[in-house]
Amino acid sequence: MGSTPKHSREPLEFRPKPPDASASGSAPEPEEPPREGDDVQAYRELRELILAPEQEAIERLHQRVDNPASRTEDVGSVVAEAIQLRRRQGGDEDLSSALSPTIETALRESVRKDPGTLADALFPVMGPAIRRSILETLRAFLESFNQVLDQSLSMKGLKWRIEALRTGRSFTEVALLHSLIFRVEQVFLIHKKTGLSLGHAVAPSVAMQDPSLVSGMLSAIQDFVRDSFHTVQGQGLNRMNVGDLDVWIEEGPYAILACVIRGVAPRPLRDRMAEVVENIHRDYSEQLDHFAGDSAPFAKVNSELGRCLELRYKEEAQPRGFGFVYAIAAILSLVVAGWLAWHTMQYRRWERLVNAFREQPGFVITSFGRQGGHFVVRGLHDPLAADPEKIISASDVKRADGEFHWGGYYALDDPIVQQRAISLLSPPPTVTLAVKNGVLQVSGAARAAWVKELQAKAQLVPGIRSLQLSPELDPERLAFSQAKSEIEITLVKFPLASASLLPSEQGALHRLAEEAQALLKAADALHENVTFEVLGHTDSTGPEVSNQNLSQRRAERVVQELSQLGVPERSLSPRGVGTSEPLRKEDSEANRQYNRCVNIHITSVTH
Amino acid sequence: MLQKKICMLGSFAVGKTSLVRRFVESIYSDVYQTTVGVKVDKKNVQVNGTDLTLVLWDIYGEDDYQKMHWTYLRGASGYLLVADGTRKATIDKAFSLEQRVREEVGVIPFVFVINKCDLSQDWEVDSALQAQLTEKNWNLLRSSAKTGEGVEEAFALLTRKILG
Repeated sequence: MGSTPKHSREPLEFRPKPPDASASGSAPEPEEPPREGDDVQAYRELRELILAPEQEAIERLHQRVDNPASRTEDVGSVVAEAIQLRRRQGGDEDLSSALSPTIETALRESVRKDPGTLADALFPVMGPAIRRSILETLRAFLESFNQVLDQSLSMKGLKWRIEALRTGRSFTEVALLHSLIFRVEQVFLIHKKTGLSLGHAVAPSVAMQDPSLVSGMLSAIQDFVRDSFHTVQGQGLNRMNVGDLDVWIEEGPYAILACVIRGVAPRPLRDRMAEVVENIHRDYSEQLDHFAGDSAPFAKVNSELGRCLELRYKEEAQPRGFGFVYAIAAILSLVVAGWLAWHTMQYRRWERLVNAFREQPGFVITSFGRQGGHFVVRGLHDPLAADPEKIISASDVKRADGEFHWGGYYALDDPIVQQRAISLLSPPPTVTLAVKNGVLQVSGAARAAWVKELQAKAQLVPGIRSLQLSPELDPERLAFSQAKSEIEITLVKFPLASASLLPSEQGALHRLAEEAQALLKAADALHENVTFEVLGHTDSTGPEVSNQNLSQRRAERVVQELSQLGVPERSLSPRGVGTSEPLRKEDSEANRQYNRCVNIHITSVTH
Repeated sequence: MLQKKICMLGSFAVGKTSLVRRFVESIYSDVYQTTVGVKVDKKNVQVNGTDLTLVLWDIYGEDDYQKMHWTYLRGASGYLLVADGTRKATIDKAFSLEQRVREEVGVIPFVFVINKCDLSQDWEVDSALQAQLTEKNWNLLRSSAKTGEGVEEAFALLTRKILG
């Protein structure tokens, strides 16, 4: 099969050879007119016979070449392969320059016809790009806003405000010019795909890390963040912040620029970084694309990276007035500290006074404070308590610095209650009053009547809850001893040598009977058995026997009389003692007369 | 200066980190491996008179708790494929890792290192596996992070392969 076409093509390929064997040696042209009619005819026939298929093929080719439609078809089927071949052969630039005007025109035409088509196609690219741009702008704005806010209230801020007024610039501008002190310490240029270091610039006297390792790890972290949080292609970590250190990252299509910054860097650094990345991509696009680990072509890139180190806001030209400012600040703080100390000391003094009042009985402090530079103390004061003015003058406060407002009240503190009890109950000097936990303790000697009054009034004294009398002030005991002494000092007098009662002694007898009954009543309450020993006496004149008899009769006469006056007879024991127990020494007539009497001696036994 | 990115690949605990620890310059703690999943170290080598910096990405071996970040392989010029001779499973894992690398980043030079040759009496490399390895016609080295055996050779061999 394969050999047939070869044979049929051969005559075509050897077309210059004379088809006829009889033809002369020199090669005649096929179109050469034959010399004779038959021959010509024969030649034509022969030619048609032999060359007809080729002629048809040539004809077809002609038609195809002349027909634009079929030519377009041919080119169309190979155009993609042709462009690919061209790229492989390394003619990119020529191809690009040849195509770009057409593509540009085409794009223009497309936009003119229907901007929607291109917009739709670009939408996935434009969206993120616009969003990123807006984000960056907002972030930059916030950065400077924050810085200005931070500084605007300080003293420095005030100075800048004056400078802004003076120079007519905006405060933000002035603040930014002065406030930002930062330093770009290191700049790394990292090949995006391999994470290898392309260049590294470092500020003077900065401890530098191995750029290969840092570059590798930085891009690993970039990858890690992208991987872990599935960020949109082209978006990665663009800032890392650790304490005072900031790492700013600016990404280009092939390389990443990372600046290690100490301090707060301003937005223009970011612009500078973007500019450097763009320049590097412009100058080294080929080398970046074909980078295979050889950093030699990037030897000069460090000078470009150095531009990021340069940028640094001027610090204050001269710390002129700095010392002055410090001195003023120091004086101010001293003044403030002094004032505060004085203030505190004063307050402490007043506080001590108020506490002294609080501890003092008869005072209640209800409020203490400072009003308009004046100390104001409000409280309650018992009139019986100490004089507040004395307490104030004894303290170390200045009286004029404060005012006191006292209200009256009854204090329940024992010392005050005691004073109150003394003033209200007017005890006799023989009595001692004491108050303990609201109990009024009374001791000493007093009359029963006063004790009675005390019992009635004590509980009315504010602060006294109960009364505690010492045993000797017991009313019964008191009545008993009072009656006893009353009885024992009473004498019933008799006329000379007689046991008859004188009418003048009736009063004494009635008193005795009354007292005896009172005593018996008290004795009963005290559980005591009382015996009234009624003793009859005589003077020493006359014989002893008759005196004894007379004294016995006198005693019995009084017993009889008292019995009649209601004193139980069983408690009365008459006994004549004659002259044996004289009441007075008989050295005068008056004393002798005194001894002519009856007196009563009382004995008591507790049962 | 010529630099090449090299990755260390292999199952968890085959000794990748130990293998490089004594032979590299490192400023990062091993903690990065478990946190970020990779630790970058550096090794300077000289092959055929060429000074070369190998930047080693010691990638965390995949285990039940953490997946491998395949993006870390991007841009690598070659890798050391490490297995533990005493654990056959790690060799099988190495086979699958090699295949995965081909899918992820294409064919790049690598050297297969079977570590822990100091424990060769415990190796689980039987004749069948041996045959499999021979069939693959891989550059195979035995190493020991403990004795240092084979480590320098592995790096040198890989570097030569990378440089072509």
